[in-house]
Amino acid sequence: MPAIKAALIGTGRIAQEHLACVQQLPGVEMSGVCDRYGAVAEMTAERFGVGAWFSDHRRMLEVLKPDVVHVTTPPTSHVPLVLDALDAGCHVFVEKPITTSYGDFLLLKTRAEERRRFLIEDHNFTFNEPIRRILGLMNSGEFGEVQHVDVFYCASLLGAWSPFADRNATHPAFALKGGPIADILPHLASLTYVFVGPHISVRTLWRRTGAAEHLPKDEFRALVEAERGTATLGFSSHAQPNSIWVRVYGKKMQAEANLMEPRLNIDRLRPCNPGLLPLRNGIQESWDVGKGAVRGFWRRLAGRPLSNEGMWELLRRTYAALQTGAEPPVSMSQLDAVSRLVADLTKEELQF
Amino acid sequence: MKVLVTGASGFLGQAVVAAFLRRGHQVRAMVRPSARAEELPWGHSVEFFRADLRVDSRLVDAFDGIDALVHLAACVIGDDATHFTSTIGGTERLLQAMAQSATRRIILASSFSVYGWREARRTLDESTPLAKDMYKCGAYAIAKIWQERVARRISQTNGWDLTVMRPGVIWGPGHELVTLVGPAFGPLQLVIGIGKQLPLTYVENCADCFVKATEAPAAAGETFNIVDEEGVTAWRYAAEYLRWRKSPKVRIPVPYSAGMLTAMFVAACSRWLFKGGGKVPSLFMPSRFALYRPLRFNCRKLKERLGWEPPRSYQQALECVFRSQQQVAVTNTPRQQNAQGNQIPGEIEENAQKTYRTS
Repeated sequence: MPAIKAALIGTGRIAQEHLACVQQLPGVEMSGVCDRYGAVAEMTAERFGVGAWFSDHRRMLEVLKPDVVHVTTPPTSHVPLVLDALDAGCHVFVEKPITTSYGDFLLLKTRAEERRRFLIEDHNFTFNEPIRRILGLMNSGEFGEVQHVDVFYCASLLGAWSPFADRNATHPAFALKGGPIADILPHLASLTYVFVGPHISVRTLWRRTGAAEHLPKDEFRALVEAERGTATLGFSSHAQPNSIWVRVYGKKMQAEANLMEPRLNIDRLRPCNPGLLPLRNGIQESWDVGKGAVRGFWRRLAGRPLSNEGMWELLRRTYAALQTGAEPPVSMSQLDAVSRLVADLTKEELQF
Repeated sequence: MKVLVTGASGFLGQAVVAAFLRRGHQVRAMVRPSARAEELPWGHSVEFFRADLRVDSRLVDAFDGIDALVHLAACVIGDDATHFTSTIGGTERLLQAMAQSATRRIILASSFSVYGWREARRTLDESTPLAKDMYKCGAYAIAKIWQERVARRISQTNGWDLTVMRPGVIWGPGHELVTLVGPAFGPLQLVIGIGKQLPLTYVENCADCFVKATEAPAAAGETFNIVDEEGVTAWRYAAEYLRWRKSPKVRIPVPYSAGMLTAMFVAACSRWLFKGGGKVPSLFMPSRFALYRPLRFNCRKLKERLGWEPPRSYQQALECVFRSQQQVAVTNTPRQQNAQGNQIPGEIEENAQKTYRTS
């Protein structure tokens, strides 16, 4: 079976994760990279052993005729790049946010369906190991019906090395409604979708505390009513340390994970004296926290991805699906629901 | 001569602009849009051109009437992508703009980090090969190697006169900490390689080299290492640094060979445990630990080809650094003017031209 031919547009920060991951996938060949800075594309190609580099994506599509194109450029540039790739007959794996508006998403969705090609947005956190474990417990019925999910993302937007802190070359995310926080929203929206399904209504609170003068907003909260439950979402640019807390409340279990590290705690109803339940859950929690810390440290030593591990898993599943002819790991209905939720979260009229 | 200096508001850039002004040249200083140009000491002596090399669409305008480009701008802090985009992508865009102008002379600031320190013989000089496995180096070194590549390639295509300057460790007021001494752990300051010479270049001396190289036709097509003449050992520098900082840290000598063996052992364990995929702290990466290697450095080529002599001795530089750090206020005397009537910045003039009030 010939190797699947991949190509990548945009060789920035996240592209390096894509390249490192694809490099070790069996039956996949990264045939070319493209960047508007030709020399950076050339350097990236040499660094990752990619055969060709380009500074014009159309030329790359024409010359290489790849099967899959990874679009890892800033979100404001996605639409024309994705359309060109789909029109060239490629499956497209695109970084989040897939588009800057729901209307643009529908355009891409229609084109992907017309061309019968995969269109996948990087809902990476939904493939992180703790999330997969919780979903596994849900699917087996052990978790019980999910009532509520709480996702809280803490990341200093202006911290050391943050791309949003660069005041000389303004990050394209500032062009999004909501600014850099909108760049994070697909994470919150995709985690909401996998636990409680498509949303029905949302209420949002966007704040500008003034502590970060050039950020349009630096705090965000939302309350979401969805088909299978509710969700509270949050983003803080000031709460530290950086973390992505996901708490899922089911009828039989409650789970808590921090996606920045492989930590997962599960509290459950146990067949024991109710007075002993807090003690047993506490012991279990201590064990889980310790185990997560050791695993995180070991993973770091092993040079394996930490918070990005879900992206590696999603890419692995995407290529496996292409090789076997299976359905894509992220369905079009999931993409649609997540894009719609992101659009509603940034609608001003829904603010408190 | 009218020169365009990129990275002009940086540590080296400020000294280079001042050195050009002292020699009577005209300077167009390229600074980033967020730079506080009004706080720079040159006043109206220089023209400012505000641009970010990664994104600005008017870069070609910066070359209007320019005889030589002195390209110092580079990323010194940030993640890999920031280094690559800023240093490599920025240089490519700048030189593409230059290709649309009449400017044909370029002096590029590179770095000692481009060298293969493990491959060097006893002396690291201009004949030392570049890092063999560059992608095991840090992002700064990778970006600098590629920056040179891009500059050489575009210069060759356009028939420009390129001079590559590779400074050692540039130090001076505000940049006294020299990482090549060794890491510090709590109360201990490790000094790796006890008799090891540091490739120091005092910022004013380094700036003087850039001016000399720009002025000298003999520098065209050449590569020069920049280090000051005196061989200052890491052990001595650490002592002076700690004394000046009034730091209670104790110097601990670590033989380079012992450190390198440890790094190789840790790296081998990591390779064995994780089948080649392991990641160890950079201190235990042999390719990076090699930067502590005891080597000799010299400025022979600079002296022979350009007749360069460092304007300041190590002792004079030390006094400048210590004194500038002790000051609580600096009052410049009325600034001198050079032959063309440009003001000469006070803070890099002779100390006699400054009035310091110390606490």
